[in-house]
Amino acid sequence: MRYSTLGKATGIVVLVFSAVAWAAESPMEAIRRTVEQATHILQDPANQGREKFQERIAKVRSIVEPQFDVQEISKRTLGTYWQERTDQERKEFMTVFTELVQKTYSGTLDRYNADVQFFYDQERIDGKFAEVDSRIFDPAQNRAFAITYKMHQSNNQWLIYDVVAENISMVRNYRNQFNRILSKSSYQDLIQTLQTKIKELDTAPASASTRAPSAG
Amino acid sequence: MKERILAAILVGVLGWSTHIEPTWAQAQEEPEAQVSDPWEGFNQPMFTLNLKLDEYVLRPVATAYDTVMPDGAQRGVGRFLKNLGVVERFANNVFQGKLPGAGQEAGRFLVNTVLGCAGFIEVAEPVFGWKESPEDFGQTLAIYGAANGPYLVLPFYGPSTVRDTAGLVVDSALNPMNYLLSTVEVVAIKGGLTLTNAVNSRSMNLDLFENVERSAVDLYGAVQDGYIQRREQAIKE
Repeated sequence: MRYSTLGKATGIVVLVFSAVAWAAESPMEAIRRTVEQATHILQDPANQGREKFQERIAKVRSIVEPQFDVQEISKRTLGTYWQERTDQERKEFMTVFTELVQKTYSGTLDRYNADVQFFYDQERIDGKFAEVDSRIFDPAQNRAFAITYKMHQSNNQWLIYDVVAENISMVRNYRNQFNRILSKSSYQDLIQTLQTKIKELDTAPASASTRAPSAG
Repeated sequence: MKERILAAILVGVLGWSTHIEPTWAQAQEEPEAQVSDPWEGFNQPMFTLNLKLDEYVLRPVATAYDTVMPDGAQRGVGRFLKNLGVVERFANNVFQGKLPGAGQEAGRFLVNTVLGCAGFIEVAEPVFGWKESPEDFGQTLAIYGAANGPYLVLPFYGPSTVRDTAGLVVDSALNPMNYLLSTVEVVAIKGGLTLTNAVNSRSMNLDLFENVERSAVDLYGAVQDGYIQRREQAIKE
C-alpha cells in the first residue's frame, strides 16, 4: 500500500534516494519536497490535456501516497470501531477509504494552476509527533487557506496522519461521519456507503470552478 | 528512543523548530470523542429544511448575485455588514478581558466608518495594523466555563449548540438597533441584513459548498463536526 509502483528501475533509484532523504528530512522538508514534486508533474507540458487526466493523477498519487500513513489514518478515522475489525476488514477499509479520498480530491488537485503560491510557516516537533503549518494562496480568489499537516515518525520517515484545512481536521471530520453511520448500521453498510459514494464521484467528475478569475 | 534522538537532533540542527508541551504529543495518541447529539430527531429534519432552503432560494440568488456583483464589491458588502457588528465584538472582548481587542474594535469602527465609506473599504488593518477581534457571546460563555451543550440546528442560521444559541440571543440584544428603532423596523432591517449577509457569503463560497457536498459521505455529520471544530478554534483564539 505504502509503496506505489513506479517502474522497476525508477523505483530502485527513487527508493535509494528517498531512503537517504527520509533519514535526514525534517517534517517541513518532507512536505515541501512532496508538494514541489507534485506541482512539477501537474505543470509539466508533457502531462497536459484532458486525455492525460488519469495519467497525471496516477503520477501525482505515486508521489503523494507514500507520504501518508494510510493505516494510521484509517485507524484514527474508524476510532473505537477499528479494534472490532478483522485484519482482512482493516485492509479492505484502507483500500476503499484511500480510493474515496483520491476520487474526492483528484479533481480539486487537477484544477491547481501555476499562480497558486505555497508558504511554509513553521514546524513543531515533539518526540515522534510533528505539525507543519503552511498556507496556500490562490490569487484567483485573493485568499489564503491555512493547511496544517499532522505527522508522526514511522521507520525513520515523517508520515502524515491528518490534514487540518482551515481549522478542520479531516480525520476527525470523517470519523464523525463514519461513527454516525456505524452507530446505526453495520460495518458492511459503511463499506457499501463508501463504495456508492465512489461510484457517484466517478460518474460526476468535479465541476470546474464556477467563478471566473477577477481582479476584485 | 531512536525517534526521540533523531527528533532531538533535528530540533538542535533546525533552530527554528519550537518545542511543544509533552501533553500535546500524548494528546495525539487518542482520538477525540464524537459530537453529542441527543436532539438528532429535531436536528435532522431542520438540517434537511435548511438544505432545501439553500438549494431553492439561497444558491440560485447567490449564483445570480455572484454573476452581477464583482468580487471586490462582494467583499465590500461583507466588510460593511461586519462593521455593523462592532458593538457585539467590542462588548465580548471586554467580557473576556481582551481590552486591546476591544480598543482595536472601537478604533477599527471609527477609522473604517469615517475613512472607509461606512465600512465598505478596509482601512484600519492596512494602515494601522488593527485586526478584527471576532468575539461573540457564545465564546464568552465558553471562556467562563459553559459547556457546548447539545448540538442544535437552527432554521436558516444552521448549525449551533445550546450555548451558542444563547450567545446569539444575547448578541442580538447588544445590537443598538434594538433600542433605537421599533420592533418591526428591527426585524425588517435585521432580516434584510441577515439575508444579504447569507447571500453575500454564500456567493463568495460557491466552490467551498460544492466541495463539502462532494467530499462528504454523510453531509449532516460533516457539517456538524465542521461547526464544532471551527468553534473550538475560535474559542482558543
